[in-house]
Amino acid sequence: MINDAGLLAYQLIPLFTAVLIPFAARRKPGFSAILANAALLAGLINIGYALLKPANLAASFANIKEDGFSLLMIFTIYLVALCVTFFSAWFMEDRPNRAAYYCLILTSVSAMCGIVTTGDFFTLYIFVEALAITSFALIASDDSAAGLEGALKYFLLTCPASLFILFGIAFLMLTAGTFSFENIKVLIASGVPAGAVVFAVSLILLGFLIKSGVVPFHAWTPDACQGAPAPVSAYLAAIVTKISGVYAVIRIAIMLRLFEIKSYHTSELLMFLGMLSIIVGALAALKAKEFKRMLAFSSISQTGYIVLAAGIGTPLAILGAVFHLVNHAVFNTVLFLNSASLEKAAGAGEMRRLAGLEHAMPWTSWTSLIAFLSMAGIPPLAGFWSKLIIILALWDGGAEVYAVLALLFSAVTLAGLLATQKKIFFGKATEACANVREARPALLAPVVAMSVLIIALGVFFPYIYSYLIETIAARLIL
Amino acid sequence: MTYHTLLFALVTGLAVAAVMARSLLLSVLMLALVSVGASLILFNFQAPWAAVFELSVCAGLITALFIGAVTLVNPVRDKAPQAPDGSHERPISNGVKREDPADGESRMRFYAMPLVMAIAAIAAWFYAVPFFESLESWARFSSRSSTLGSIIWDLRRFDLLGQLSLLAAGVFALSSIFPGRKTQK
Repeated sequence: MINDAGLLAYQLIPLFTAVLIPFAARRKPGFSAILANAALLAGLINIGYALLKPANLAASFANIKEDGFSLLMIFTIYLVALCVTFFSAWFMEDRPNRAAYYCLILTSVSAMCGIVTTGDFFTLYIFVEALAITSFALIASDDSAAGLEGALKYFLLTCPASLFILFGIAFLMLTAGTFSFENIKVLIASGVPAGAVVFAVSLILLGFLIKSGVVPFHAWTPDACQGAPAPVSAYLAAIVTKISGVYAVIRIAIMLRLFEIKSYHTSELLMFLGMLSIIVGALAALKAKEFKRMLAFSSISQTGYIVLAAGIGTPLAILGAVFHLVNHAVFNTVLFLNSASLEKAAGAGEMRRLAGLEHAMPWTSWTSLIAFLSMAGIPPLAGFWSKLIIILALWDGGAEVYAVLALLFSAVTLAGLLATQKKIFFGKATEACANVREARPALLAPVVAMSVLIIALGVFFPYIYSYLIETIAARLIL
Repeated sequence: MTYHTLLFALVTGLAVAAVMARSLLLSVLMLALVSVGASLILFNFQAPWAAVFELSVCAGLITALFIGAVTLVNPVRDKAPQAPDGSHERPISNGVKREDPADGESRMRFYAMPLVMAIAAIAAWFYAVPFFESLESWARFSSRSSTLGSIIWDLRRFDLLGQLSLLAAGVFALSSIFPGRKTQK
C-alpha cells in the first residue's frame, strides 16, 4: 500500500544518501558512484511498481494523496537521473571531486521530487530554489570559462524568475489568502476570483516560463548546456529545466482552466510564447555549429510544443503535454549522452570536425537516429504520438493556425535533425574521426535502454493512452 | 516568565556570544542559533510563515554560505604560528599577517561588554517589565493544543524538508565549487 509517507520516501532517500556519501566514500571515491546508482535504481524499481500495481491502477491512484501526474514525473526523474549517474560512473572516472558531484545530483533529485509532490506554491518555491542552487553548482563544476559563463547566465536569468514567483506568492497571500493548489483551483472554478488572483498566478506563471527557457527568456539554456560537463547537460536539458519550469506551467494551466473563455488572455499569451519557441528553436538549431548547442535549441523547440499544449489547456492537450514531457526527457537523455560519447571519442563538439562516424560508432549512430526521429515526430516512435495529440487538440480547440504551424515546424525540425545526422554519422570520415572507436558498453547501456523505451512507448501507445486517460486526465482535469 | 521570554533572553545571550566570539566560525554558528531562536519566537507568536523564512534563509542557507566563506578566507587558522613574544599572529586571506592587539586590550571587551549590557539591562528594567507584559498579550495562545512539533511536522512538513534540501544544496554546491583544501596545498 503506497500512501503519503511512501511518496515522501522518494524525496528523503536520495537526500539521506547524499548526506551519507561524503562519509561513506571518504576513502574510496568510487564508492560514491555505487551508492548513488543503488539509491536511484531502488527508487526507480519502487516507483515503477507503484505505477503498474493493479490495485493502484484500479483506483486510478485515488488511494494516494498525489495524482498520477506526480507519480509519472517521479518515475521520469528517477529514470533520467539513473541514466545520467550510471553514465557518469564510467564517464567521469578520473574526475577529482566526484563525491560532491553525486551528492549534488542526489540532492537535486530530492528537490525535484519535492516539486512534483507538493500541493502549494510556497513549498514549490522553496524546492525550486534548492534545485536552482544545485543546478548552478553542477553547471559550474566544469572549470572551463564556458562552464562559468553558463552558470552565471543561469543564475542571473533565473534570479528575476524567482523574484516574479515570490511576488506572485505574496500577491496570492494578500488576495486569496491561500497557497494551496486545491483551494486556488476551487476558487477559480467557482468563478469568484478577482483579477488580483489571476494576476498573482500569472506572475508565478511568468517566473516559471523564464525558468523553463521559453523563447524570450531562452538565452541561458544553450550556454548552460554547452558549458556544463557533458552528463550534466543531459541532466539539465532532459529533466531539470522541465521540472523546474514546464511542470509548474502545466500545473498552473490546469489550475487556471485555460480552456474556458474567461482566461483567454493568459491562454493566448502562453500559446503565442509556445509557438515562438517552436519557431525560434527550430530555426536556431539549423544554424548552430556545435552539437550540444544544436540539441539545446531543439530542446527549446520541443519545450514550445509543451507550452503550446498547456496554453490551449483542454484535457486532450494537457494529456499531450504530459506525454510529450516524458518523451522529451527520454529522447533528450539519449541525444545528450550520445553527444558526450562523441565528444570523448572524437575530442570535438563542433559539427564541422565530426563526420562519417557511422561505421566507427554504429550503436551511437543508430540510437541517435531513433531519438532524432522521435523528436521530429515520426511514427511509430513515441514522439509521434505526443505531437499528434497536441496538434489534434489544437485543431479541436479552434486554434487551426497554430496546429498548421506546429505541423510545419515539425517538418523543419525533421529536416534539421536529419541534416545533423547525415553530417555527423554518414558521409566520409574526416581525419579527426579516422581513429575513433565505439564508446564502451557501459556508456552505451543507458542510451540503448532509453532507445528501446522510445520504441516501446510508441508501439504500445494504445495502452499508454488509456493509462494516461485513466490516471491523469480523468482525475486531474475533470 | 513564560516560554517566549526565556527565548528572548536566550537569543540575546546568543547574539552577545556571536559578537564576542573570537573565532569567526563560532561566531557564525552563534548567529545561526540566533536565527533558530528567532524563528522559534515567531512560531510561538503564530507566524509560521515568517518563521519558516527565518529558518530556511537565515539559519540554513546564509549560515552555509558563511561557513563556506569563513573556511575559504581563513584556511590555516588552527595552525597559526605562535610568535616568540606570546602574541598571536593570524594569517589573513591574502597572506598578509596581522598582529593581534595586545592580550590585555583584547580581553578588555570581555569585561566591558557584559558590564555595559548589565547597565543597560538595569536601566531598561522599568521599561522591560511592561514590554514583556505587552508581549504576553501579543502572543495569542489560541491553539494551545498544537505544540511546536505538531506545527513543524503536521502543517509545515514540506517546508522542513525544503529547508533540509536547501541546506544540503548549499553545502554540496560549496564543496563542489570549492573543492577540498587538501588538493590545493
